[in-house]
Amino acid sequence: MLPPPSHAWLWWIPLLPLIGSALCGALHLATLSARKRDPQAKGLAGLAPLIACAAMAGALALAVKGFLDLRALDAAARVLNSPAWEWITVGDPRQPWFDVDLRLVLDPLSSTLGLVITGVGLLIHIYASGYMKGDAGYAKFFAYLNLFVFAMLMLVLSSSLLGVFVGWEGVGLCSYLLIGFWYEKGWPAEAAQKAFITNRVGDACFLIGSFLLLRLFGTLDMHEIVARMGSDFRLDAIDENVKLNIALAALFLFGGCCGKSAQMPLFTWLPDAMAGPTPVSALIHAATMVTSGIYLVVRLNPLFASSPAVMTLISGVGVATALIGGSTALVQRDIKKVLAYSTVSQLGYMFLGLGTGAFGAAVFHLVTHAFFKALLFLGAGSVIHGMHEEQDMHKMGGLRKHMPQTFATFLAGAAALSGLPLMSGFFSKDEILAHTFNSGGVYYAFWIVGVLTAAMTAYYTWRMVALTFFGPERFDHHHVHPHESPAVMTVPLMVLAVLSVLGGVLGLPPVFHAAHALNDWLAPVVAPGVAILNQLHPHEHLSHATEWVLLGLGAAVALAFAHTGFRTYAAGPEPDLAIGRGAPGVAAFLGDAWSIDSAYSRVVILPLRVFAFVVRFIVDQVVIDGLVNGAGSLAKNLALRARGMASGQLDAYALWMGGGAAVISLWWMWS
Amino acid sequence: MNVPSEHLFFLSAGLFSLGVLGFLVRRNVIVTLMCVELMLNAANLAFLAASRMHSTPEALDVQGPVFSIFVITVAAAEAAVGLALVIALYRLKQSVESDSASEMKG
Amino acid sequence: MSELLFYAMAVIALLGGLGVIFSKSPMGSVLSLLGSFFALAVIYLLAGFHFMAAVQILVYAGAIMVLFLFVIMLLNLGGMGTRFELSAAPLTRARSQIAAAVAAGVGLAGLIAVQRASLPRIAQGGAPERIDDINQIAIALFGRYSLPFQAVSVLLLTTMVAVLVLAKRRTRESGQ
Repeated sequence: MLPPPSHAWLWWIPLLPLIGSALCGALHLATLSARKRDPQAKGLAGLAPLIACAAMAGALALAVKGFLDLRALDAAARVLNSPAWEWITVGDPRQPWFDVDLRLVLDPLSSTLGLVITGVGLLIHIYASGYMKGDAGYAKFFAYLNLFVFAMLMLVLSSSLLGVFVGWEGVGLCSYLLIGFWYEKGWPAEAAQKAFITNRVGDACFLIGSFLLLRLFGTLDMHEIVARMGSDFRLDAIDENVKLNIALAALFLFGGCCGKSAQMPLFTWLPDAMAGPTPVSALIHAATMVTSGIYLVVRLNPLFASSPAVMTLISGVGVATALIGGSTALVQRDIKKVLAYSTVSQLGYMFLGLGTGAFGAAVFHLVTHAFFKALLFLGAGSVIHGMHEEQDMHKMGGLRKHMPQTFATFLAGAAALSGLPLMSGFFSKDEILAHTFNSGGVYYAFWIVGVLTAAMTAYYTWRMVALTFFGPERFDHHHVHPHESPAVMTVPLMVLAVLSVLGGVLGLPPVFHAAHALNDWLAPVVAPGVAILNQLHPHEHLSHATEWVLLGLGAAVALAFAHTGFRTYAAGPEPDLAIGRGAPGVAAFLGDAWSIDSAYSRVVILPLRVFAFVVRFIVDQVVIDGLVNGAGSLAKNLALRARGMASGQLDAYALWMGGGAAVISLWWMWS
Repeated sequence: MNVPSEHLFFLSAGLFSLGVLGFLVRRNVIVTLMCVELMLNAANLAFLAASRMHSTPEALDVQGPVFSIFVITVAAAEAAVGLALVIALYRLKQSVESDSASEMKG
Repeated sequence: MSELLFYAMAVIALLGGLGVIFSKSPMGSVLSLLGSFFALAVIYLLAGFHFMAAVQILVYAGAIMVLFLFVIMLLNLGGMGTRFELSAAPLTRARSQIAAAVAAGVGLAGLIAVQRASLPRIAQGGAPERIDDINQIAIALFGRYSLPFQAVSVLLLTTMVAVLVLAKRRTRESGQ
C-alpha cells in the first residue's frame, strides 16, 4: 500500500538539530563552572551559535534536497518514506492489534513546512547569535532553540499521530523553556507556566482525538487514515454513528489545535509568551510552533472536511480570534504585544480559511505569515536591542534616522502584514477572504468580520510603524543611544524582507492567469478533503469580476486604514491618551484583550484556588493529617494502656492465657 | 468395669480444671509445676478413655496408649527443665515465688 | 464391684488434686499429687490399661515425683511455714475469683464437650479386658509413629543438655 522505496536520510533532517542541541547543551554544562568564576567569560560557549547554525544549515540543505527530489516525481507520487522504526507493538508481532511505527514522510505539505521551519529557523538562529551575545545562557539558548527545531520537524515529518504528539509536546516543552529563559526576572517563569498549562488543555484534547481516531481506524498513521478516506470514500455511504465519531475526533483534534495555535478560548498564553527573548517570539510564537495546529488540520483534511459543523466551528473560532486579536492590538503600547496579538489574529485568519476548505490558502498564509511576522519580530527585537531593552512604543519615536536598515526591513514586513497591494500578505489574506465569501451562508458574516479585521490589521500595523520610527524622539537622550544592530542581525532581516515582499508569487490569484504554485504543489495532499467537500456541496468558482471586486476592496481597505493609522499616530502617541480619556472603559476592555484573561481568573482560576485552599487546609491538614496523626496517636494511646498488661508477673500472664483458652473453648462448645 | 466413657471424661475434665486453678492461684513455682503435671495426667486419662471407647475385643485401639506415652515423656522432660529453672531462680532470687521474677514488666 | 472401686479412685484423684492446690507446704502438695497419681494408676488398671498403669507408677510416681521431692529437699522448702511461703503476698480476692472462674470455665467446656459429643455406647460385652497390648503399642511406636518417637527422643536429649546448662553453677559465680 505504501511506496516501498525508503529514504533513510530523512531521519537526518530532525536529527541534525537534535545533535546540535546536544552539543550546545554539553557546551553549556562544560562552561558552567567557568562562568561561575567569571560571568563575563566567553570561552567555548561562543562556539554554540556556530554549531547550532551549522545544524540548521544542514537540515535546510536536506529539506531542499527533499523538495527537489519531490519535484522530480509525478504529482500523484510525491511521497518519500523513511524506514520505519518499530516503536510500539502490542500483541502477536506478525499481526499486532496495536502497532506504532515511527516513520518520517516527506510529501508536499511536510516539505513546505520543513522548508519554512529550517529556512526561517536558520535566519533566526543567525540573528539570535547577535541578539543573545553576552547572555549568561548563550549556549543553553541555542541548545533549546535547536531542540525546538528538532521537535517541530518531528511534528511535521512524522507519519504517526503518536510521533506528532511527541513533537507536539516537544515544542510545548521548548516553548516553556524558552519563554521562561530569563526566569530570574520572575514574570517570564509565570508566563512560561501559563503557556505550558494552557497548552496542556489543548494537548489533552489532542490525545482524546487521537484515541477516537485509533478506535475508528485502528491505526494512528495519518497517511493511512487519509488514504482510507481517499477517492472511493463516500460520505453518504457511512453510518451516522461513525459520522458522529469522526466529527467528535475532528472536534477534539481541533481543540488541540486551539491550544497550540492560540485560538479562542485558549489564546491568552501567546501574548504572555512575549516574556521570552525576541528571537524565540519570532521562531516559536510567530513562524513555526503556533502553525502546528494549521498543519494538523491540513494533514487530516478529509477528516475535518467530512464534518461540516466542525468546519463551521473552525471558521467561527478563527474569525472570532482574528477579531479579538486584531482589536486588542489596536491599543497595545508594548511593541511585542502588538505583534503577539497580531499573530493571534493572523492565526485566526488561517483557521477561517481552513474552515472554508481553503487548505491551500491557509498554508499559503502560514508561509507568508512566517516570513513577515518573523521579520517584524526580529525587527522589533532589533529596535528593542537598540533601545536598551525598551519595549514601550510611547517611549520610542523617530528611530528611522538611527536604525535605517531595521526601519527599511520593518517597513517591508509592515506592508506585508497590513496587506498592502502586491505584498505577500495581500495575496494570502485575500485568498482566504475570497474563499470565505464564496462559501456563502453564515460565511458572509465571517467575511464581513474578516474584512473588518483586515482594516484593523492595517491600522495597528501602521500605528506601530508611526510610533516606533516616526514622530518626535520620546526617549531620554542621556541614557538611551539608539544604534543600528550588527550585520549578523540585519542580514537575516533583509532576507526575510525580500521573502515578505515577494512571497506572494507562491500563490497568485486566478485572475492573474498565472499558476497558483503552492496550491498545485499541495493538491495531492488536500485532494481527499476537497473531494469530500465537493460531495457535500459542489463549489463553483468565483467569477473573475467578483474576484476583481474583492481584490480591489481588500486593497482599498488596507490602503485606507494603513494611511489612517499612520496619519493618526505620526505625530506621537497622543491619540492613545485621548482614547484613554474619552472612553476609558473601551480602552481598558481592548487593552486587556476583551477581559478574557480576567474572566479566566474569575471563572477558572479563582474557583481552582478556592478548591486548592479547601483541599490544602481542610481536606489535607484537617482530614488527612487528622487521620494519619490520629492513627499514630491511637496506636500510642492504646499501647500506653496495653502496657499495663505486661506486668512481668508469670501468674498474670497465665491468667490471661487460661482465660483466653477458657473463652475460646467455651465459645467453641456453644457454637 | 462397666463405667460409661462419659464418666472417665468427666474425671479428666475435673482434674484438668483443678490443674488450671492451681496453676493460676499458686505462686510457688514448684507447686505450679505440679499443677501442670496434673493437667497432663488429665489429658492422659482422656486419651486412654477415648482409646477404651473405640476398642472392641476384635480390634484394639492403641493410639491412646501411644499418645499417653508421648505425653508422659514430654511431662518428664518438662518437669526436668522446670525444676532446673526453679533451681536457677532460687539461686538468683533466693526465692521460688513467681512474683519474685518480674523484671519483664512492660 | 470394680465400678465402685472406680468411683472411689476418682474421688481420691480429685481430692489429691485439691490437696495439691490447698496444701500449705510443697511437701504436702507432692504427697497429694502422689496420691492422685496412684488413684489414676488404679483407674487405668480397671479400664484395661495394664501397661499404662505400670508406666504411671514407674515414671510418674517413681521418677518425676522423686525429682520434685529432691528439689524441695535441696532447696530446703519442705517444712510448713518456711519463710518464703509466708513472705509471699497474699493472693488478692479478685485474682482468686477470676482464677476460679477461668478454671470452672475450662472444666465446664470439657463437660459440655463430652455431653454434646454423644459418645458411642460401649458394646454389650463391655470393653476388652486388656486394651494396651504391648506388641501392638510397640508396632505403632516403631511403625506408624516412628517419626514422633524420634522427635521425642531428640526432645529428651535436648532436655538433658538444657537441664545441665540451667542447673549448673556458673563458673564465675562459683569463683566468687
